[in-house]
Amino acid sequence: MKIKLEKLEVQTRKDQELVDITSQVEAVVKKSKVKNGVVNILTMHTSSGILVTEGLPCLETDIINNLSTLAPEGSGYFHNRYLDIDGRVAFNAPAHLKSIISGYFAFFPIENGKLIKGSRQRIYFAEFDGPLARNYCVQVMGE
Amino acid sequence: MIDFHTHPLLVREMIKKHPDLKRIAQDIFYIRNNPQPLETFHLELDVSGLERAVILPIDAYTTKQCRIYSNEQIAELCKMSNRLVGFASVDPHKKNAEEDLEFAVKKLKLRGLKLDPSLQEFYPNDLKFMTPIYSKAQALGIPLIFHSGMSWEPKVKAKYSQPLLLEDVAFEFPELKIVIAHFGWPWVLDSVMLALKYPNIYIDTSCLYFDNPKDFLGFVMTKQVPLSLIEKSLRHKIVFGSNYPRVEIKNMAGAMRSLGLSEQCLNLIFSENAKKLLGEAK
Repeated sequence: MKIKLEKLEVQTRKDQELVDITSQVEAVVKKSKVKNGVVNILTMHTSSGILVTEGLPCLETDIINNLSTLAPEGSGYFHNRYLDIDGRVAFNAPAHLKSIISGYFAFFPIENGKLIKGSRQRIYFAEFDGPLARNYCVQVMGE
Repeated sequence: MIDFHTHPLLVREMIKKHPDLKRIAQDIFYIRNNPQPLETFHLELDVSGLERAVILPIDAYTTKQCRIYSNEQIAELCKMSNRLVGFASVDPHKKNAEEDLEFAVKKLKLRGLKLDPSLQEFYPNDLKFMTPIYSKAQALGIPLIFHSGMSWEPKVKAKYSQPLLLEDVAFEFPELKIVIAHFGWPWVLDSVMLALKYPNIYIDTSCLYFDNPKDFLGFVMTKQVPLSLIEKSLRHKIVFGSNYPRVEIKNMAGAMRSLGLSEQCLNLIFSENAKKLLGEAK
């Protein structure tokens, strides 16, 4: 069985946004030459996510807005304190909570070298605390 | 609009060229976030609605055996971005430090001076010791920004950074424009008194020591001092600063805009006062 891992970077450009990474994932699968197997996609950060939804700008806006309703900015977070591991005050608990809600990974089967996914499904890197240069992993396993 | 207080410590391109900057950022300045491309800095300004940022070094060679960016490195970074305004720093313990300042301003084209009395371990009101540097800064017509108040760095004492120590400097060098960084927190009222009294003293807003930017700035600028005082008496004496990357610019800018200050006052704080300090406006 082949196992191929690629670490990719995405430059997010806004405070919060969904970046379509479907073509990047497909390119890694193609490059791996795996015909049958699975692909895992995961973010390397706890204030971002990987999610799968229909590729429509209106839906992207709705997702960001509704996640902000579920995890609003505010004062009541214990995370709002000095974090010596970073040398600064942490105040991005809403971004961490959105990351949990959206999930940190997605996976798809691979058949005949292509992702098995619905025609409307797109894979997104979800930024909840940008703009930042972010990293995500694409791991392809199979034969 | 200008962010008057940033440190370019996490700029990836500079760390690639000067690898020791990463150790200095982590161990001396004590910021541990991952390096980011310069583009992230620009995007951070964009999402904050700002055009430019002042980038600050600290020459702590005598006390910490390092420069948290040298003046040459600041100039190098400024050549990579026309959105960055470079300031110099000099080591007060170095003989003829004022000559380094003159070189930085005249040859490297840096536009202000940053000193951190806590990291550099000197008392700003030790005029016998500091007069050559203050005189040179005054003669060059550049602003001098002092770290003031609490420091995050370990093994660094706040006793050197009490804003009241700047009164002698303002008094003896009336043409020298002085900026008290971080609102001088926790000595906010001392900082406000100095800015009220001395025409050459300004305050920057780059303070966040607990909670979040909105709550903290709200505490400082509406409770420790009334907002009306800022609106009526200090609107020409405050400049916006974020202290990026210890705090994202977007969060500090959003917090400033949420306080309830008038548009005219916000324009002064975000733009006009900084331009005046930089000699771009009268």
